[in-house]
Amino acid sequence: MLILKNLLRRKVRSALSLMGIAIGIGAIVSFNALGQGFRHALDAHMRETGAQLLIINKTVQDPAFSRVLKEEQDFVRSLPAVKNVSVGTFSIAAPRGLKVKTFMPALLVYGRTPGDPLLEKFRANIRGRLIEGEDEIMLGTVAAENLKLEPGETLELFRRTFRVVGVYESSISFERIGAILCNVVLQKELQMGDAASIVFVYLKDTAAWERVKQTVESAYPNLAAIRSEEFTLFYDQFEYIDWYVWIISLVSLMIGGLGVLNTMLMNVSERTREIGTLRAVGWSRGRVLGLILSEGTMLSIAGGLAGLGVGWAAAEGFIRSAPRDFFATRYSPELFAVAMIVALVLGLVGALYPAWQASRLSPIEALKYE
Amino acid sequence: MSDPAVRTVDLVKQYEGGRIHALNGVSVDVARGEFFCIMGPSGSGKSTFLHLVGALDRPTSGEVWLNGRSLSSERDLDTVRAWEVGFIFQLHNLLPALTSAENVEIPMVVSKLRRRERRRRAEELLESVGLSHRRDAVAAKLSGGERQRVAIARALANSPGLILADEPTGDVDSKTGEQIMETLLAVRRQVAATLIVVTHNPRVARDADRVMEMLDGRLRSSGQL
Repeated sequence: MLILKNLLRRKVRSALSLMGIAIGIGAIVSFNALGQGFRHALDAHMRETGAQLLIINKTVQDPAFSRVLKEEQDFVRSLPAVKNVSVGTFSIAAPRGLKVKTFMPALLVYGRTPGDPLLEKFRANIRGRLIEGEDEIMLGTVAAENLKLEPGETLELFRRTFRVVGVYESSISFERIGAILCNVVLQKELQMGDAASIVFVYLKDTAAWERVKQTVESAYPNLAAIRSEEFTLFYDQFEYIDWYVWIISLVSLMIGGLGVLNTMLMNVSERTREIGTLRAVGWSRGRVLGLILSEGTMLSIAGGLAGLGVGWAAAEGFIRSAPRDFFATRYSPELFAVAMIVALVLGLVGALYPAWQASRLSPIEALKYE
Repeated sequence: MSDPAVRTVDLVKQYEGGRIHALNGVSVDVARGEFFCIMGPSGSGKSTFLHLVGALDRPTSGEVWLNGRSLSSERDLDTVRAWEVGFIFQLHNLLPALTSAENVEIPMVVSKLRRRERRRRAEELLESVGLSHRRDAVAAKLSGGERQRVAIARALANSPGLILADEPTGDVDSKTGEQIMETLLAVRRQVAATLIVVTHNPRVARDADRVMEMLDGRLRSSGQL
């Protein structure tokens, strides 16, 4: 009763403070949802290949720079537990290299081998046909739309002219915004020789993954064999993204926290006589402390709930305004729980000093306060 | 013979490191059920006396006894204020955002009463001060007289044996002041509580069982001044 009424007495002040928390929590929710969305899409992309293990060169920071040599590929292929191996190369083409006037941040370019399962999987969902020759390219539906290209038209890429032979559909966003050309062409353009970016390993017995992993990594310490569902866990840069997300969020949160602190300090200062009255009628210091902390907590819970909405709206708004399929969001119950816990802690910390100050007031001094 | 409701023994209160002497050795007994009135000019020490008796503050020296129990040995004065003393201030000190009934409920928050029971008791008390029709009115919207009557109901919330009133008619006109005193004396009779009132107003003192005067921190019988 008293808690809610005290907050509603200064509606604008409470609302501003609530907004401060909502923005901080919103930042946590939106940035994390985008970060998690990116991770999830990438993991889904790797998982969808059906490979049990992915072999990459762990000495480089980014998978785009990974090089797995022919000798290393052959070693993996020769292992008795391995049923099949697909090699893939990968690069990101800058829009200025595409010479098209469209808002497209980048074109993901995949090198695939004709006849390989990683290419054959598109056969059922393609307008046109699969690539067969070195001057041919396939585009994902979104990439084709952005580049305004149809089968039969040409695309200049890597100072070469490719003929678009097919536009494929995919459930994976990173494939929809990408292009596929012959692996040997991409190897040549990236001056990779016969190395691959990633080796996709299909096992006879999926349970043998750990043994294969150990064999490969002990034979070639520069390589890492990663389970396809754990691809993003392997890369440190995703941790850096998480750190950036949290740093930006914490800055926003500090602003929110200062808002709570300011609101509660002003509330306590304005209500000094009232606090004196409460003490005079028998309220203990602890009860006064609890009252102010409860006000801060209620403010932060309301701000936190608003923040969940703000974060969702911001992330979804961003997704809608950004080029299609380049970003994704993912909301987990854990994210909402963490956001609400942070809001709660923020409210408690912000209200702690004002509450302590209020509880220390002597009834007599408080009652005399003008 | 039973202990007096209030006994003060050589009560001294100094402020600012002894520079200001608010009370200079006040010793007095107030019998149970007595209406005791203290008159005196501003700054004479009346309110300070009331604050010490009401456990709002501690004396520099001397002792306050309530119902035969010394407050010096009480570590927790909050409990004394909650259950043994009901305060009525000159400026009523209601919480302006709360309704009349909610203001009366405030002291009962420390009790084990459920919210519904607290509300019923608050409504009974408001009825006893003639304000049942204003129970849902926000304190800020009440007249001066109504506020003071809510303050009287609040002072009785936890059925204390001692009611302390500091200039209860000081902030209202004389007619309203008469009504407030009538209300206060009526409810005090109902609950058979001891009443100590400090006031400038001789009309308030008119109905008191005993009147003393405070001057320069000393309490004297009114005839002595």
